[in-house]
Amino acid sequence: MRILIVEDEPDLLASLAQALREEGYAVDTADNGDDGLFNAEGTDYDAIVLDVMLPGMDGWELLRRLRQTKKTPVLMLTARDQTRDRVKGLDTGADDYVVKPFDLDEVFARLRAIIRRTTNQTTNRIEIGNVAVDTGARNVFLNGQLVELTAREYSLVEFLARHRGVVVTRTQLYEHLFDENESSLSNLLDVHVSNVRKKLGAEFIVTRRGHGYCIG
Amino acid sequence: MVFKSIKWRLQIWYGLILVAVLAGFGITAYQLERNRIFRRVDENLHQRFAVLSGALHRERPPGRERPFRDNGPLGENPDDRPPLHDFDTEPFSLPAPVAGLFDTNLPGNFYFVLYARDGREIAGVGQRPPALVVAKPLSSLKKEGRIALVPEPPGPKPPPIWTLDGFRESFNETPGGEVIIVGCSVAPELHELELAALNLAAIGAGILLVGLAGGWWFVGRALRPIGAISTTAARISAGDLSQRIETAEAGSELGQLAGILNSTFARLETAFAQQKQFAADAAHELRTPVTVMLTQTQTALSRERDAAGYRQVVEACQRAAQRMRRLIGSLLELTRFDAGQEVLKRMKFDLAGTVAEGMESVRMLAAERQVKMVAETKPVEITGDPERLAQVILNLLTNAIQFNQPGGEVRLKLEVSGGLAVLHVVDTGRGIAAEDLPHVFERFYRAEKSRTGAGNSGLGLAICRAIVEAHGGSITAASVPGDGATFVVRLPI
Repeated sequence: MRILIVEDEPDLLASLAQALREEGYAVDTADNGDDGLFNAEGTDYDAIVLDVMLPGMDGWELLRRLRQTKKTPVLMLTARDQTRDRVKGLDTGADDYVVKPFDLDEVFARLRAIIRRTTNQTTNRIEIGNVAVDTGARNVFLNGQLVELTAREYSLVEFLARHRGVVVTRTQLYEHLFDENESSLSNLLDVHVSNVRKKLGAEFIVTRRGHGYCIG
Repeated sequence: MVFKSIKWRLQIWYGLILVAVLAGFGITAYQLERNRIFRRVDENLHQRFAVLSGALHRERPPGRERPFRDNGPLGENPDDRPPLHDFDTEPFSLPAPVAGLFDTNLPGNFYFVLYARDGREIAGVGQRPPALVVAKPLSSLKKEGRIALVPEPPGPKPPPIWTLDGFRESFNETPGGEVIIVGCSVAPELHELELAALNLAAIGAGILLVGLAGGWWFVGRALRPIGAISTTAARISAGDLSQRIETAEAGSELGQLAGILNSTFARLETAFAQQKQFAADAAHELRTPVTVMLTQTQTALSRERDAAGYRQVVEACQRAAQRMRRLIGSLLELTRFDAGQEVLKRMKFDLAGTVAEGMESVRMLAAERQVKMVAETKPVEITGDPERLAQVILNLLTNAIQFNQPGGEVRLKLEVSGGLAVLHVVDTGRGIAAEDLPHVFERFYRAEKSRTGAGNSGLGLAICRAIVEAHGGSITAASVPGDGATFVVRLPI
């Protein structure tokens, strides 16, 4: 899962990015509206965390322009908790909002919820054969037994599980699992796929040569 | 409760005064009517007295002077005086014309009785009342208080006259001690008076009713704005500050009061709205540093960190806390200015020196941002608080540098113009958009609509304005967007 955070307060941006990375997300950051829009239009993020008050282009404007081309789920961070601000955000195309000051757990939960909605999941549990993925607790079970996965391995399984039955290209995987600082390390993906196969069974991830990977 | 109401109190006073005036008029009118009626009767009585007295005069035996004294002081002892007639020897009779005056067929039923000195009735004509005053010497009647009713005016005295049981009687004593009573029935006149009194009472009651009703209506009408005022004030005290008193009487005292109250309410509402906005803005400004602290600490605590990791978090929290401290300091400062509690020093000093010091303190920042500072100052001695004005200059300079662009310029100019010390701070930054220009001195207003660095609380220019205005000066901003901004401070010398 790759996420873009657009936030101009440096300390807040740093801690949000760190917290989301530790949750296993690939995180890109932008500290102003123009860079944020540039990133958001250029990459298929799984979700965008967007502050309303930004130097340059503000959050509303960024969202309005982004919605002309992309449906990426957007979680707005707003310091105003008045109804009209929330209504404005939701009407402009935000998928959800969190009012400052927030708890990180709430941000995580809302991010999971908007990602789940865009991939048409209704619960946090995805079952594929004898493998179950709990996207809330970020756990994977094989025959009911908890399997230890690294954060990156888990993200790979979750992304494929969310797109079960669909061939996911290597490019897509790179975009969603790695942030812009890691993209050049191209053999990382093969290492992660190989590790997941060792833990969940060789047939769990099917390789479509020349296309990508697929499960289910 | 009722008697505390102004309406009732006015009504009661008004009613009492009306009753007093009506009673005064009524009693006077009654007295006048009574006098008029009795004067007529009394004239008739006096006329008969005169005729009767003339008749008795003619009856006077030769050699007796002034047999009938209707005037002058009475004798010390009436018993010493000779009687008018010797009634024992001479039977008394009236001449026919005189007797005609006492005809019972005449209206008024006049009568007369003549008593001898010893109280015997000598003669009597006409229909007298059943309980006639028993003839007694005048002195004893006086003693009994029967004739004391009639005051004795100085000069020639008319015979005393009184009304008793529906009869008007007059009384006199002859020099010989005989007593003459002349009277008539005044029952019709008394009836007439009674009717007149009833009439007056009815008219008075009518006027009183109309007056009270009119007064009630008028007082109610005059006090109606007070009702409107108290209703509105009650709504306002219940929290609805948008209420205003509606009154049609702009000219009356209450209309003026309503106008004054309305403008007070308007000011109250504005002040209240500002206060509310201020509190909301302050809360809003505190949200970001609190969010930083929360996310930093929650992230840090989610797992074990090394010393450097914790240090980073603590440093971020410190920055957030400092930002909150600056914000709280600025808020308190503004609140003190608002409450008029900020005490300014009053001392003479050279503003040019303060400007130079301000430039010195921002030299590092200017160098960092590659902004050149140019100053053109003349010594200007003003009276005020040097520290506070230094704060204003520092704030304007910092803004001019921060909102400038690399290679830009900040120009300062201090001069005396029109009896004022005028300081221009001109930058070559992006400038301020026309729609933002009127608001730059408002609290928390940021032209950028975002935080532009942690140090900018959005209160700096608001504090500048508070300080300058507390010195009796003014501060204005002008800008051509894209071409920099100019701030001008004018201070009285």
